[in-house]
This record gives sequence, structure tokens and C-alpha cells, in this order.
Amino acid sequence: MPLVAEIVETKELVQTVVYAFVAGVGVTVIFSVAIWGAARFVDLNQEERPVAAGAAALVGVLALLAVVAAAVIGVIVMTSK
Amino acid sequence: MGSDVILVIVIGAALAFDFTNGFHDTANVVATSISTGAARPQVAIAAASLLNFAGAFISISVAATVANDVVDAAAITPTIVFAGLIGAITWNLVTWYFGLPSSSSHALIGGVVGSAVAADGFHVVIAEGLLGKVLIPAIIAPLLAFIAAGVSIGIAYRVIGRQRPGIVSRGFKYGQVLSGGMRGLEHGTNDAQKTMGVITLALIANGSLGAGADPPLWVIASSAAAIAAGTYSGGWRIIKTTGTRIIKMDAAQGFTSQGAGAAVILASTHFGFPLSTTHVINGGVMGAGAAKRLSAVRWGVAGNIVVAWVLTLPAAAIIGAVTYGVTSIFGSGAVGPVLVTVVALAAILAAFVRRAQRGAPVTVQSG
Repeated sequence: MPLVAEIVETKELVQTVVYAFVAGVGVTVIFSVAIWGAARFVDLNQEERPVAAGAAALVGVLALLAVVAAAVIGVIVMTSK
Repeated sequence: MGSDVILVIVIGAALAFDFTNGFHDTANVVATSISTGAARPQVAIAAASLLNFAGAFISISVAATVANDVVDAAAITPTIVFAGLIGAITWNLVTWYFGLPSSSSHALIGGVVGSAVAADGFHVVIAEGLLGKVLIPAIIAPLLAFIAAGVSIGIAYRVIGRQRPGIVSRGFKYGQVLSGGMRGLEHGTNDAQKTMGVITLALIANGSLGAGADPPLWVIASSAAAIAAGTYSGGWRIIKTTGTRIIKMDAAQGFTSQGAGAAVILASTHFGFPLSTTHVINGGVMGAGAAKRLSAVRWGVAGNIVVAWVLTLPAAAIIGAVTYGVTSIFGSGAVGPVLVTVVALAAILAAFVRRAQRGAPVTVQSG
């Protein structure tokens, strides 16, 4: 009777859990940053602080691009499995 | 002639399973989007249906067939596959009847294992595969999604906590459109392939295709159409459970459970350790609710769902085994499968009529 550790390939499983956790949390948090950027852009624009508003918009756009990149990677994973 | 009849019945049963798979798992794709008002119910379901159809064409590399890793492939016959499919379809419909989200993949594995054991004994079960590919992931998937969604929503609330609720809510609803689209595509790619694999195996076993052949276009197209039609039919009872009965979720929780869930599924798939989408999405919904407030989760509903998960494998196995036993009473010809099919269709029809006659129809509120 093989040990459970031998059956499950513990290293592979731990790797899966860590990467899946990082991906799951990462995508959500980065998308939250994109929303934060959009919300701050609107507020700072109304307060007539264009430089700060531009910086917030830049952060938001970069975060959004990161989420889109994650989605593209997701599609590549789907097609290559 | 007899083997051709059995082949036709197996293909019909596989497509019926595919339909129930789409029907049953619609909730995994659309429930959170509908419950937060990110998408109108009919629009969300139509989009999920189209994405499931498209997803089925994305990849035709028939992933390790469901039964291969858990049952000795040499022992598989079309009748065993048929009995296993009946076990899976029956369990999918039972859990739908009670509005409980459960894994269609586990139902299929359980059904095939049960019918194979009934046919040849326990020695055909590959214990290592069953433990390593099915049971351990079944425990890990909901826990991982629960923790990932819980941590995600905690950080997300801190990031967007003091921003205008209108912009934040709209932003997460747009995000749900993206994450829901990914889930629909992923579901079509992943789950339709199981049916393609089963039909292709049956064609090979019948000598209609050579060993190692790819699924023909008609198999891909019919599997895609069946899962899309099932998705479009919408399992409203399960949508309501996942979307509104576990927690009353806001847009951030909806995005977190769906987005974190999709990322968890894709990351684990990349490492060759596919997890049940049903377990991940529902675990994520519970985690997103519990992180906000433990009492926000209706633990009674969550407990019922977990019980359904635990019962899926043995229940489908028992139904599969009984089906094989009944089928084999009539010999190895087509009579047994034909009779079982007629009885199964009558039972399914009776269940639908009974459900239609009892209580108010289940709907999901939008907005």
C-alpha cells in the first residue's frame, strides 16, 4: 500500500496550492487597485488636482492591463492543456 | 447490429449527461453575476451558453479521459460506460431537484467506478488515481477557494473601502462580466471534453474509430451543442442556491468569488491538478461571505452542499452499479440498455412533472 505522500505527489500539490492561491488573490487585489485608481481619478479631478488625478489614472490603467494580461494567460492555459 | 444499438444508446446517454452537466453547472458561471445585478439573468445565461459552445471548440486534445485514471481502461465496455452515465445523470438530477450544487465530474467518475466494480470487481479500481486525482482535490478545492476568496475580499475592502460606493460597485460588476466570460469559456473547454472523450472511447471500443483517434467533428459539435443547450436551459434552483442562499453578496464579493475562483481553477489546471469548478465557486462564495462576517454565511445551506459533495461519488457509484446489474440481467445485448433507457426517461419525466407541480417556481431576482 503506497503512502499518501507518494500517491499525491506532494511537491506538485503544494506548488499547485501556492500558485493557485497567489493567482486567485492577485487577480482580485489588482482589479481592486484598478477600481481604486478610477475612483481616485474622479475625486481628484473634481478637486482640480490634475497631476494627482493623472497618477491615480495611470495606476488604475496599469492595474487593469495586468488583469487583462492575466485573462489572456488564462485563455492560453485553456487552449494548451 | 446489437453493438451498434448499444453504441447509439451510449452516445445518446453521453449527450444527455453533457446536457445535465451544462444545466447543472450554469450556476457556476452565472449565479454570482445574476445575484449582484452585474448581468440580467437571460443575458447572462445566453452569454454563458454561447461561451460554453465556443469553449468546446478551443481545445480538442481529449484530456485524460475521466475513467482512465481511476478504472483499468482495459475493463471498460460500452455497457459499463452506459451504466456509469446513467448513474451520473441520475445524481445530477437528484441534486438539481434539491437545488444543491455538486460536481458533475465526480458524478461521472462515481458512476463509471460503480458500474465497473459491478462488472469486474474491485480490482479494476485504481486506488492511487481515485485518491490522488479525485478525493484529495475534492478536499483541497473548496478550502483553497474559501481561503483565497476570504483573503482577497479582505484586502479588496481595505483597498476600495473609502471610495465612492457607486464607482466601486460598477467597477466590480464590469469585472464580473470579464470573470464570468472566462468561467463560461473554461467550463465549455473542460467539461465538454469529458463527453467527447466518452463518445470517442465508445466509438473506438465498437471498432468505428481506430485506437488513439481524435474525436470526429460531429462528436465535437454535438458535445458543444449539448452542453450549450443545457447551459441555456439554466438550472435555476442551483443558481438560486449559489447566488443568494449561501450569502447575500455585494458586487465585490461576487467578483472575488468568481475572479479568484477562475484564477484558482486555471492555475491548478496549468499544473495538471484540475479542481472541481463547483467546489471552487461555492467554496469561494462561502469564503467571501465569511471574511465579511461569519454569520453572513448560512451555514445550514453550506452544510447541505458539503453533504451533497461527500455523497456524490458513492451515490453515483451505487446507481451505476445497480444500473449495470439490471442491464446485465438481460444479457450482453441491447435489450438491457434499451429497457433501462426507457425507465430512466420515464423517471426523469416524472421528476420534472412533480417538480413543476410542487411549490412556486424558482426565480432569481435581478438588480
